[in-house]
Amino acid sequence: MATPIDPMHQFMIQKIVTLPTVNVPGLGAIDLSINNSIAAMLLAATLIIVFYALAGKGEVVPGRLQTTGELLYGLVDGLTSSIIGHDGKKYLPFVFTLFSLILFCNLQGMLFGWTGNFLGFTASSQLAVTLTLGMMVILTVIGVGFAKNGLKFFKLFAPSGVPWPLLFLLVPIEFISFLIRPITLALRLFGNMLGGHVVLKIFATFVAILLAMAPAYWAVGALALSSVVALTALEFMVAFLQAFVFAVLTCVYLNDVVHLDSH
Amino acid sequence: MATEHQGAVESTEAPQHESGGLPQLQFEHWGGQIVWLLLIFAVLYTVLSKALLPRVSGAIDERGAKIAGDIADARRLKDEAEVQARAAAAEVAEARAKAQKTAADAKAKASAEAAERQAKEEAILAEKLAAAEASIQAARDAAMSQVRVVAEETAGAIVEKLTGKAASAAELKSALA
Repeated sequence: MATPIDPMHQFMIQKIVTLPTVNVPGLGAIDLSINNSIAAMLLAATLIIVFYALAGKGEVVPGRLQTTGELLYGLVDGLTSSIIGHDGKKYLPFVFTLFSLILFCNLQGMLFGWTGNFLGFTASSQLAVTLTLGMMVILTVIGVGFAKNGLKFFKLFAPSGVPWPLLFLLVPIEFISFLIRPITLALRLFGNMLGGHVVLKIFATFVAILLAMAPAYWAVGALALSSVVALTALEFMVAFLQAFVFAVLTCVYLNDVVHLDSH
Repeated sequence: MATEHQGAVESTEAPQHESGGLPQLQFEHWGGQIVWLLLIFAVLYTVLSKALLPRVSGAIDERGAKIAGDIADARRLKDEAEVQARAAAAEVAEARAKAQKTAADAKAKASAEAAERQAKEEAILAEKLAAAEASIQAARDAAMSQVRVVAEETAGAIVEKLTGKAASAAELKSALA
């Protein structure tokens, strides 16, 4: 597409505050400068803390803000207690932090995109970010698995009640499916945020191009515009849904190792 | 993660912006994002789990407890009210029974009195009637005896006038019997 607007430009990393580069042995140089992705994540975390500082007033009769805060909390609470069960409360802060951080990162890109700076940068469309989140989930799952079950953790790969010859087939499959969990988690979030944003940008660009052409093309432009409106609504849903899916899968993976005996 | 090694290799290509390919795969930006994300996540987790979420769950629990308490109170009050209503209904029924009994007693007494009085009046009337009948009978008897005397005299006079001699009293009596 020979347009002056590059749909991938919105994902470009731009440095905001230059900080020293740290050389970590074995990992190489790590540039700790704050770029737009990091600034967006900082903003998301700040917004979450401010939101819950205001929403967590603890009144018996809640206001609007408190109701919204409790709604989100109740959503995650429902997930952990319905999927993990009675022990779920212990993992609630972890799942909630993941959920709220992803949700706010997703929504910032939708809500503040018009600013054109880091405020509207979608950090959750960065593979580095989603992969780190995925790794954090799976490392937590492994940590909880070993802490709860010790070496019995490896029973996760050998489902009970299976004839032993089948284990030769099942164990590698289970093992590989466990290993690719962080990757699927990361790619699902990354792909959804990337794809939706790119499609939005392309359609919006299309509107501008058609408007610049003869009036005969404006009807097509109106069609493109209406699809941008519809896609924007869809993207808001996807922004919420992907955060929710991430939280659900985190709960499912945690449940696997918390209730290993009934696995 | 192996990506940082590649990041060091690719950092020479950093300035090429519109070269196609995903900006997300410019690995020289990965290290900083990962470190900062871990930092941000750790701070957010700590603040949320230690300070903010307990207040939210506390409020929810408090509300649940308050609602449960209020419902229990309401249920208790309703039970109490039901017991009182039942007692009141029993009292009303008792009062009504008492009132009906009183009314029935009064009615019975009144009708008994009325019957007695009527009987007394009837007795007096019957006495008066009997007396009246007796006096009528006496008057009639007197009148009848008077009639006989008048008839004897009249017969005596008629006989004297016709025959010229008076008939005796015994003859007259037998003729009139």
